[in-house]
Amino acid sequence: MRFTIYQESRIGQRQSNQDRIAYCYSRDSLLMVVADGMGGHLHGELAAHIAAQYITHAFQREAQPALHDPALFLSRALTGAHHAILDDTLDRHLQEAPRTTIVACVVQDGTAYWAHAGDSRLYLLRRGRIHTRTRDHSRVQMLMDQGLLSAHDAANHPGRNRIYSCLGGTHSPQIEYSPRMDLLDGDTFVLCSDGVWGPLGDEALLVGLVDTPLNVAVPRLMSQAEARAGETADNLSMVAMTWHDDLSTAGPDVISTQTMALNHFTTEIDLSSRSIGQLVDLDEDEIERAIREINAAIHKFDKR
Amino acid sequence: MPPQANCALPAGFQLDQYRIDRQLSLGGFSIVYLAHDEAGTPVAIKEYLPNSLALRKDGEIMPQVTEEHQAAFRYGMKCFFEEGRSLAKLMHPNVVRVLNFFRANGTVYMVMQFERGRTLHDFIQKHRGDIREAFIRTAFARLLNGLREVHAHKLLHLDIKPSNIYLRTDGTPVLLDFGASRQTLMNDQPILKPMYTPGFASPEQYDRRDQLGPWSDIYSVGASLYTCIIGSAPPRADERVKQDTLQPLAKTQSDRFSPQLLELIDWCLKLDPFARPQSVYTLQKALVHKSEVETAPHTPWFTDLGSRLKAFIGRG
Repeated sequence: MRFTIYQESRIGQRQSNQDRIAYCYSRDSLLMVVADGMGGHLHGELAAHIAAQYITHAFQREAQPALHDPALFLSRALTGAHHAILDDTLDRHLQEAPRTTIVACVVQDGTAYWAHAGDSRLYLLRRGRIHTRTRDHSRVQMLMDQGLLSAHDAANHPGRNRIYSCLGGTHSPQIEYSPRMDLLDGDTFVLCSDGVWGPLGDEALLVGLVDTPLNVAVPRLMSQAEARAGETADNLSMVAMTWHDDLSTAGPDVISTQTMALNHFTTEIDLSSRSIGQLVDLDEDEIERAIREINAAIHKFDKR
Repeated sequence: MPPQANCALPAGFQLDQYRIDRQLSLGGFSIVYLAHDEAGTPVAIKEYLPNSLALRKDGEIMPQVTEEHQAAFRYGMKCFFEEGRSLAKLMHPNVVRVLNFFRANGTVYMVMQFERGRTLHDFIQKHRGDIREAFIRTAFARLLNGLREVHAHKLLHLDIKPSNIYLRTDGTPVLLDFGASRQTLMNDQPILKPMYTPGFASPEQYDRRDQLGPWSDIYSVGASLYTCIIGSAPPRADERVKQDTLQPLAKTQSDRFSPQLLELIDWCLKLDPFARPQSVYTLQKALVHKSEVETAPHTPWFTDLGSRLKAFIGRG
């Protein structure tokens, strides 16, 4: 397998980063995961953490070096992650199970399989266009599908964060599985949380990734999304991977798994929520800006 | 060296568009004034003035900040902004409203709506041992509406106590002083220690700050409820962790209050964060549950049926 991969997670303007991202590959198989913990401070983070960890561990157990059945693996791993969250809830005597969105993708033998629950998305970009993307499990998406809501209204809908499927929580997740997708040289996958696609939208995401190396495009897109969301920026997370034919010319950052040992794994998990508490001196401009922002927030209410 | 007390701005002082009337309170981090704007509307103005870092001597206006404290003073200002940001996002009848934010005299000021009434602390002092269950349930159920709004914005209050709960003259409660919420972000500051009030702060506020959550505010609500019943605060949580001397209210007060209320308060005061009600909604539901049963007038079945029919027809 040959591919380029890049991932990043940022806290945005929130007090904690409840997103968890990971990728992991063996010689013959690649896994990518984004989980976006929901609500309730500590708890959402817990759910996302358990989900990302459970799925990565399952992959490491089974991809030796290839998964027996990638579609079946996804089904077992995601359902298993859901139950792992519920079990942890019991262990901690929590009153209600914490919840997280999930999107996970496996690539093996030049074919991709993915599954998701909630509103974290997977995009497949091919030849400068969005070839396919996951449909959010949200009421807003449902209304759009029924033609009751335009894309523009959906982007500003007050209930756009409400989702009806996720891991954890009181209801069984409705996990949606993709059909098999044979990959072409240059195909790019993007897995991201709503903190990224919300402020950017499909078009900006596409434009930012076309013909740009991932290690440049991803941080740039994240900064764009963060800037657009401004004061309300949610946690932002993105895993992006570009697929290369075994025959194509290799760039310097391309990972080739051909020489990997059969039982070896490379894993990158962003499981730590980095805090932002360093002592920073405020300069005059920052003080002025903070005061302006606060007054803007106050006066937003006055107009209502 | 103990921190010196700062001098307040004098009465009649013209601060931006406001005229200072008098000092309302003095804390370690700020001074709160009663003032009037140009239209004569009373407002409460909070002045950022940390005792340990800035000193205003009698007769002076500009506080002095020594060179070595400059960075910490600015850092604290950032925290003060966080409080402003938190409050500016909230618009709720049971949460204090912030009206303006400005810079003057080398420091910053937050202008808030002035509420007439008294703190729950004063109310408890006055009516010690004579607060009725119905009052407690109603006041706290409303207060929790405000706290739900706070949590819905992913904020924690972290300093809920009777002196931060204000009772308007019409009896409705307002949640005040979000100064402590600043410490949810950063807790490794040498000079500005996280602040908490003994008796009302949850155990995780002392040493396990990674476990802070809505349940931490719920502990403080429980401690405030406890104070309404007993007349004084429960033992400090950090002491309780070592040796728990707290007597469950359900055992000691059942002659004056319903067991359901007492058990609810005991539940909020559990030392294990996860053993408490996990959301304000859960607590609120339990709080209004009993009173509905007790106080709701019995509706004759036909009226009830009539209104149900109306609703049914209206829907069609």
